[in-house]
Amino acid sequence: MTTPTSPTSDNAFPHAQEVDILLLLEGTFPFVAGGVSSWVNQIIRGFPELRFGAVFIGSRPQDYGPMRYALPDNLVHLETVYIYEDQQNPPVKPARADPDAMALVEQVHSRFENDLKAPDCPHLFASLMDEAGPDGKLSHETFLYSQASWDYIKKSYKRRSTDPSFVDYFWTIRTIHTPFWRLRDTALRCPSARIYHAVSTGYAGILGVLLKHRYKRPFMLSEHGIYVKERKIDLYQAQWLKDNRSVFERDPSRVSYFRQLWIRFFEHLGYVTYQAADDIIALYEANRQRQLHDGAPPGRTVNIPNGIDVAKFSPLRTQRPVQIPQVLCLIGRVVPIKDIKTFIRAMRMVVNHLPDAEAWIAGPEDESPEYAQECRELAQQLDLVDKVKFLGFQKLTELLPKVGLVVLSSISESLPLVILEGYAAGVPALSTDVGSCRQLVYGLSGEDADLGVSGRVVRIADPQALAQAALELLGDAEAWQQASEAAVRRVEKYYSQDMLFTRYRALYEKNFQWQA
Amino acid sequence: MAGIGFELRKLLKKQTYMGLLQAYTFAGVISSGPWVLSIIGIMLIGLFSLGAVFPKEAITQFQVTITYLFLISLIGTGVVQLSFTRFVADRIFGKEDATILPNFNGLILTASAVSVVLALPVAAFLFPEQTVLYRMLFVMGLGIMSSIWIATVFLTGMKHYRAIVLIFFVGYSATFAFAMIFKSMLGMDGLLLGFVLGHYLLLMGMIWLVYKNYHSDQFIAFDIWKRGAMYGSLMATGFFFNLGAWVDKLMFWYYPGTGQQVIGPLNASVIYDFPIFLSYLSVIPGMAVFLVRIETDFVEYYDKFYNAVREGATLDHIERMRNQMVHHVRRGLFDIAKIQTIAVLVTLALGGALLDWIGISRLYLPLLYVDVVGAALQVVLLGILNVLFYLDQRRLVLGLTILLPVANVILTAVSLQLGAVWFGYGFALAMLLTVLVGVWMLSQKLEQLEFQTFMLQ
Repeated sequence: MTTPTSPTSDNAFPHAQEVDILLLLEGTFPFVAGGVSSWVNQIIRGFPELRFGAVFIGSRPQDYGPMRYALPDNLVHLETVYIYEDQQNPPVKPARADPDAMALVEQVHSRFENDLKAPDCPHLFASLMDEAGPDGKLSHETFLYSQASWDYIKKSYKRRSTDPSFVDYFWTIRTIHTPFWRLRDTALRCPSARIYHAVSTGYAGILGVLLKHRYKRPFMLSEHGIYVKERKIDLYQAQWLKDNRSVFERDPSRVSYFRQLWIRFFEHLGYVTYQAADDIIALYEANRQRQLHDGAPPGRTVNIPNGIDVAKFSPLRTQRPVQIPQVLCLIGRVVPIKDIKTFIRAMRMVVNHLPDAEAWIAGPEDESPEYAQECRELAQQLDLVDKVKFLGFQKLTELLPKVGLVVLSSISESLPLVILEGYAAGVPALSTDVGSCRQLVYGLSGEDADLGVSGRVVRIADPQALAQAALELLGDAEAWQQASEAAVRRVEKYYSQDMLFTRYRALYEKNFQWQA
Repeated sequence: MAGIGFELRKLLKKQTYMGLLQAYTFAGVISSGPWVLSIIGIMLIGLFSLGAVFPKEAITQFQVTITYLFLISLIGTGVVQLSFTRFVADRIFGKEDATILPNFNGLILTASAVSVVLALPVAAFLFPEQTVLYRMLFVMGLGIMSSIWIATVFLTGMKHYRAIVLIFFVGYSATFAFAMIFKSMLGMDGLLLGFVLGHYLLLMGMIWLVYKNYHSDQFIAFDIWKRGAMYGSLMATGFFFNLGAWVDKLMFWYYPGTGQQVIGPLNASVIYDFPIFLSYLSVIPGMAVFLVRIETDFVEYYDKFYNAVREGATLDHIERMRNQMVHHVRRGLFDIAKIQTIAVLVTLALGGALLDWIGISRLYLPLLYVDVVGAALQVVLLGILNVLFYLDQRRLVLGLTILLPVANVILTAVSLQLGAVWFGYGFALAMLLTVLVGVWMLSQKLEQLEFQTFMLQ
């Protein structure tokens, strides 16, 4: 790891005029640790012969700490853009609006509202966004300070808003649009590239749309989770969204207007991004289906799952004792989304049948200390203090030989690497039915499924089913052995790092040939 | 006079003619009380000194001296009147009440010191024919008058309207009494001594009121002179407004054909001054209407508008409140115009008789008519400036108050060139021009109020 760098000191970052592939990253590598960031790191290091650049899109500088990854040598350019950074508005001064630009604004909004699927919609959007700069017809000043913009906001409020509060509508509109100018600035600033590669839709996606429109280079989109869906979950939970409907106006079955507005905003960004992308890569089939549903053209979609360095884990298979270790290990951060409580509850039943069994929880607890404390208390109440062990962060190569089952009780996952890493070490998986877990355990129908079952999948939040499935594997050496062998076969055949690199290399090479 | 609306509304709420009458009387008294009292006080002293002070010209010398003390102290403290009120309002908003009293003391000290320093050489060298007592009283009078204006705007800002009128009443009664006591002993100097003593009492009354209401561990402070503590635009506005309202008089005093030397370097213009002072008395009803309309109806919708903006009302509601604001500004200005038209008509009908009664030549009559119109327009201008202050348009206000003296100088100079028939038109047309520009600016501002409130802040 390099010396930690504050995300604001742009000078410390490498700079280049041109790169082969410019990665567009929203809230991930290198300032946030996590699955997507590790994947980005893996991809960059996997193609040492290519020159990568990266644009990190964040909300505000203070929301991020130092870099979490050592920058690979072939990452020759890194820059940041903070779309909600305060006090970057131009000085307040009445501005004039170009009538053509305002006509385009009306046209694009009308398309989004009434006719999203119109063939010219993505192109209109990209053209509009390309005007969003001091050199374009729609400067930020025009949006902020012109009479025409004000009139349009008033008109839209009157026509569309079902929330009474004009001031909230006004600020929502301002907030929602501000990032466009920041992103447009970035598009002018960033190095030229042979391929633009966004690792989510959302703001990263539309930056890709703009770059493709401006510079006529191919644009690839890799999605781990489904950005729009995650945003919706955030927005449904968000407390900061105001709902000013009075008692009589409020219909609980109808989402508040501002929530709807934000959701539609991200849906539209997602749609435009899918339409503009030349290749749309999902991690697994369920996500690809979701992309199709959200507007991705079927011909451009493909699944490329995560891959791991199998060779790193394969020696561990021989280090395991002959007796299957009676250890169920949950590897992950101790946070509510992992639903660790269900795992602890399940352990009560497991221990009732297998008194020697232990539950290990390997992962940092600093993200949600309250939740971690609640988990410890639950273990206490269930009289499992010496059975449930909180280990903190662990090195997997040391941990996996001592483990009998890799457990995931999460209520949401995409394609969890820990399952693959467990597989590579010959450890079967016990997971809830989320993300790609069913595919990882039972295989996609066909050759993959023929490899056998490499663990168990149960419903979410069902401790009894989780315990039952754990007992089936840990209590039956033969079943365990079969699952272990299927796990090794599956990971070697479908989820190795080499597979991942090979498939991305093919896509990159195809796009390098691309001519506008 | 922000905040007066509450008291006025209480009176209006009675919904009776009596309540209405009370409201307008109250508004008339508190808006015009102090300066009406001072005009009447000085005139009465003059009237009652006839036959007691010799020669007769000495009375004029006394009145002209007082006029200059008013003029210099008003223009001089004009620099701090608005800006200090704003400074105090900001301190109260920032919950730093304890800094108010020491800064008040600091400002009074500064104003007195500057007055004395400026007046001393004038008194020493420019009044060779006057007694030492006269010269000393001139210097003291200027310091006291300057302090009184500062205390007055401060107490007005703090909403002690009734107390101010009361203190002015007591102060001018004392001034009158002292002048009467000393006139036979010291002649013209005695009148001035009475004036200074009476105003000293008036000032002490105000300072007592200030000390009663404000407390601090610190006696004196000069935070007001720190950079950014007082708004430069407000300082300039106060200065230019007072200058604009007086500059035509100054020109008439010193123009060879219209002004005469009265005492030392002080000139006066017999033909110009009297009609002007009479016409200012005619604006009392206009001032009352202005206060009632702007501070009750307009302010009510002003508050509703900004509450609607802040608290998330619908755009329709916001626009409705804006329209109501505009409606009440329009109505307020029209009402001032209407009531002042009546004042003008009354002057047209009775002006001649009035002049006969006071014993002034009917030759002044045309000038009186024009001045009454000019003074009425000055009230309208005050109304416009007040609304612009509410909308925090300090730069527009500054522009208008710069326009006023410039127009007044140019048009008055032209009127002086054109001859006696045109006297007074310079002042009245300067007011008219400023009012028209003000109305136009105000209309622009109100037209774009929501746009500017939302988009340009």
